[in-house]
Amino acid sequence: MSWSDFCSKFQTDFIEKGRWLQLANGLLMTIEIAIGAVILGIAIGFVIAVVRSTYDKNSKGIHNSSDRVTIGSVILWIANVICKFYLTLLRGMPIMVFVLITYFIIFANYDVSPVLIAVFAFGINSGAYVAEIMRAGIMSIDEGQFEAGRSLGLNYVQTMTYIIAPQAFKNVLPALLNEFITLLKETSVVGYIGMNDLTRAAILIKSDTYDAFLPLIVIAIIYIILVILLTKLVSILERRLRVSGR
Amino acid sequence: MDVNSNALIRVIDLEKHYGSLHALDGITTEINKGEVVVVIGPSGSGKSTFLRSLNLLEEPTNGHVIFEGNDITDKKVNINYHRQKMGMVFQHFNLFPHMTILNNMTLAPIKLLKKSKAEAEEKAMSLLKRVGLEDRAKAYPAQLSGGQKQRVAIVRSLCMDPDVMLFDEPTSALDPEMVGEVLDVMRDLARDGMTMVVVTHEMGFAREAVTRVVFMDGGKMIEENTPDEFFKNPKSDRLKEFLSKVI
Repeated sequence: MSWSDFCSKFQTDFIEKGRWLQLANGLLMTIEIAIGAVILGIAIGFVIAVVRSTYDKNSKGIHNSSDRVTIGSVILWIANVICKFYLTLLRGMPIMVFVLITYFIIFANYDVSPVLIAVFAFGINSGAYVAEIMRAGIMSIDEGQFEAGRSLGLNYVQTMTYIIAPQAFKNVLPALLNEFITLLKETSVVGYIGMNDLTRAAILIKSDTYDAFLPLIVIAIIYIILVILLTKLVSILERRLRVSGR
Repeated sequence: MDVNSNALIRVIDLEKHYGSLHALDGITTEINKGEVVVVIGPSGSGKSTFLRSLNLLEEPTNGHVIFEGNDITDKKVNINYHRQKMGMVFQHFNLFPHMTILNNMTLAPIKLLKKSKAEAEEKAMSLLKRVGLEDRAKAYPAQLSGGQKQRVAIVRSLCMDPDVMLFDEPTSALDPEMVGEVLDVMRDLARDGMTMVVVTHEMGFAREAVTRVVFMDGGKMIEENTPDEFFKNPKSDRLKEFLSKVI
């Protein structure tokens, strides 16, 4: 491809008919979906991780002081079964399939904005992975931390909130970043449910201009830049949290 | 059951089973206000389990722990409330590594006693001063030596104004030259009239700073006496054998 060739392709692919706007809007949608899904995923993941690790700790039978009521342990057992079922289901099927199910089955008869549907699908899916990452984080904290909190009179939730969760979160940040990167890139399948995200925008330009090269290379670069920025953001956060020098 | 006795803590027929292992095999005793009780015994004798049962970190299989007239083994009792009055010091310090020393100390008073930040910090600083660590208030636990960590752990518990302090082998994880500074703080505390239950291997501490020494083996309290009698005239063979090995 000569330089003038390149320039004219660039002209048709991005400048003509304001096609760059398609990419810009696509980028915006990709970011919207990713951010929404990350937030939903963390919320779901945290709750499940707490349920599962609480169950794990209590069922060991050694440190069972936190749950002294049998009704409580029955509820915990049921909650744990529900969580495990959720994990098996969501981790078992391809995200693509779950997105299709969400769009064509679950929300088939509801008038919900497609962005919300995508956030829902990706958030629910990501929550399953985040849950196991956070559970690993919680289980990695020394039991003594938990006992110290409880011995001061803090209840289970307070100990979790002020003592365990902050330390666990710091330990699992690298693994969480991995999950967020995967999530960001997986949003590229939403084109299948008719949403104009970044990938879909490139495909539309390609079919308009019959040029595959530039649109695809450009979105590849954009995805890479997004991941670099995300990585940067997390490493800043990680450095802040490491102040305590452990 | 008589819960009107003057004892701060009454332990009645306490049992703890792990499967077929009887970690605690029917323990009945009383701890009075102002007493300093040291529990010694070979490893696996159940002394740590006993101590941890007093604030229910270890939930007993059977029996009762009556603390200030309340049966805290009763499932309806709010254990979190009573634990506020029972300080505990652990072998491995268990300071919160993500918080400064000052925040370690003020967390529980602020969240549980609803103290203002200023109020909690004032108390924490005066306690830090008492153990000679006021200049480390803004440091993180990782920046402290083992002995310093344990002194902080002790005053962290004291921030809650406990009625009893439980020590679970507080000097066992320390380098030898740091044992002294922690024992000094504990002696100081004992002199001030704090009720203390101490699981330890420090026979020196058991001899001098203590009102009563208890010997445990096989989940039972084999013998208890004043330190003088305990070390000079041990009665049971098992205690004699134990003392001959450790002294």
